[in-house]
Amino acid sequence: MATVPLNVDSLIGAALAPILGVAAFWFLQLIFIEIQKRMLLSLHHRHEAFCRFTNYIGILFQTICQALGYTVTRSGIASFQVTVNYGEVQPKKEKTGVLDWIARSFLLFGPFFIPAGFVLLASCFIIGKGFVFQTPVHYTFVESLTGFVANLSTFANEFVSFLINIDLFNPIHVGFFFVLLFFGFGIRPSYIGEERKEKIDILHDLMLIKDHLVKKPLYIIAIVFIIYVFFLLSLFLNPMVYVGFFSIVGWMSLTAIMVLLLTYPVLLLIKSTDEIRTHWKIIPFITLVVSYVIARVLFIYYPIKQDESISLLIMILSTALITIILIKYKRTNRFKTASKMKHTRNADGKKRTSKKRAD
Amino acid sequence: MVKKELLKNEQIERVLSPHPLSFMKLQALCIFLIIWGIVVWWLTNSSEYASMFSGNMWYRLILWGLVLLFIGVVASLVAIQWLIFFLYLGVFAGGLSLIFSQHWEKDIALFIPLYSIAVSIVGFLIVELYRRSHKYIITDFRVIFKGGIFTKRERTIRYDKIADIDAKQGILGQIFGFGTIIPVSQSGFGLGSDKTMAAGGIEVGAKKVGLFGFAGGGKELQTPIARSYYELHGVYPYKDVKQLVENLVQTHVPTQYQKEQVEFEKQQVDIQKQMRDLLHKQISEKPRKKAVKQTTEEEPDEEEREEEKTSTEKNPVPEDAYQPEQVDIQQQMKELLKKQKTARVIQPDEDTEDEIEEEDESEQERKEST
Repeated sequence: MATVPLNVDSLIGAALAPILGVAAFWFLQLIFIEIQKRMLLSLHHRHEAFCRFTNYIGILFQTICQALGYTVTRSGIASFQVTVNYGEVQPKKEKTGVLDWIARSFLLFGPFFIPAGFVLLASCFIIGKGFVFQTPVHYTFVESLTGFVANLSTFANEFVSFLINIDLFNPIHVGFFFVLLFFGFGIRPSYIGEERKEKIDILHDLMLIKDHLVKKPLYIIAIVFIIYVFFLLSLFLNPMVYVGFFSIVGWMSLTAIMVLLLTYPVLLLIKSTDEIRTHWKIIPFITLVVSYVIARVLFIYYPIKQDESISLLIMILSTALITIILIKYKRTNRFKTASKMKHTRNADGKKRTSKKRAD
Repeated sequence: MVKKELLKNEQIERVLSPHPLSFMKLQALCIFLIIWGIVVWWLTNSSEYASMFSGNMWYRLILWGLVLLFIGVVASLVAIQWLIFFLYLGVFAGGLSLIFSQHWEKDIALFIPLYSIAVSIVGFLIVELYRRSHKYIITDFRVIFKGGIFTKRERTIRYDKIADIDAKQGILGQIFGFGTIIPVSQSGFGLGSDKTMAAGGIEVGAKKVGLFGFAGGGKELQTPIARSYYELHGVYPYKDVKQLVENLVQTHVPTQYQKEQVEFEKQQVDIQKQMRDLLHKQISEKPRKKAVKQTTEEEPDEEEREEEKTSTEKNPVPEDAYQPEQVDIQQQMKELLKKQKTARVIQPDEDTEDEIEEEDESEQERKEST
């Protein structure tokens, strides 16, 4: 059993540090989600099918979280329905009190963490490194926070280095990359569409969570008490457990942020190609694949170090360059309107034409 | 081309064809072929397990073929369609025969992915050709379904013969806005059944006398199912097309109110026919002068008959001036008029109410005059 100095920093500060860290990363995650929402909204008019697809994934995860909530609280699942526009889970038994509150917590918090948890699980198998827990030496706020951040930075380093060195000739890596994109578009517990525009705001999500927490302050006190008991137990037995638990939650947020970041270039590419004329807009997508294949094949015959990451760099740069050139020289008609323009007519009712009359 | 096939006064509402992604089940077979071909290439050349396959070049072929056939069996069982298994068997057999005939044994590693991609491209083209062979014509009378690459199939269903409409939209359909609509006819065309069977056998004894036990169970579910050329398969935009078909069916199927209307009109026509017969009878028994005049004229129109009827009603001849048969006819006519009136009272339309009032007034006038 470790000896613990009896002061405020050790007994309260050390307990608060990882919680604050998780909260900070979660808020960061919310901001990244909000950016993605805005980007998707700007694409909505031209890419309705794509937005419906992202909605579907988001709703699917949200519904899964709700179902998990009912399963954990032993309410049972009477019906489970997911469509592009809505998801619905009906419990077998309507629970009240703390069980109902827990089930609702799953619905509100689950979509931020549970899909990211799945990605984290997959990355355990694919990346396999970076899941390290550092034990704090001293029991202070700063030490605890440093330990938490160190855990996260080790994981982030490994994750980013995997992404930089990803081998797109490896089917497992390609599969994992698509899983990341799939989850990246789904870590967004909101609907993108014109009809419910007011509900896709970050404030709306936060308001819902605030209402949920404020409604039952006693439960919050109970949760804080349980966490503190957990802290005290781990403090005297093994301090790594407490920081480690919050580090896992932090990894989830970090994973969510990284997969969200990964979706931004995809959305940017889609948005950029909208500026290009109809048949030319496919060229950047072809460039994306062809440039990588050419680079990789070239490096098979002329081997260099870091060939995978250089190939990735070539792919990104060539796609960006081609897109910019096409936007400059093959830009779509700017005067094109969403609705058909009516024929303008002269005062006498005849159609106005650009041809000059002979007289 | 389409217009030639239309009936008289028939108008086209919509000409549709399946969405490019509506045959994803078939396209998925090709996608799997490509993915598996590439995975085998990677597994046997670049992965950490490559050394396992370096000993014998046939190992790659065995791995490729076994997994292909296994997936074929599983997919066939799930989809209850043995065509998938035979398709993959054909692909495998084709690959084998190409290797032996062209002596490409040394290049199996490269052959598998290239062959998979080539076969898949052909597969995609066939699926696309099949998709394009479909055409659905929605007119204001009926729905015409056409399809088939070599054997052209066609089905026509009139809206009044549609008993039920089954509509379904998968995940891809929801995302891309297409769906399938199956019009089930009154004869049950468009309904199929899903059968599941569980069976097992055991043989006890080896040489002469063997005991064979067999246990099985079956379940049959009737479900709307049809070939893609007998249904509106993967039509876009799904919601609009569904609405259109439902509206057209609704307009062609008589509702309860319409049935009552038809019944009422039939009654009216019967009464009028009887009245006409009675009038004819009455006229034929009138003094000769009028009868002669009547025969020289052409067959009177209904309007003229009505006028004549009202004139006879307005200026009735005293009963004692006619024969007793005439009195009978008049009584029968009165009864018919009453019947007609009561029938009209049941249908309280504004027009009919006005007519009833007019008739009441005319009857009162007639009574006063008598």
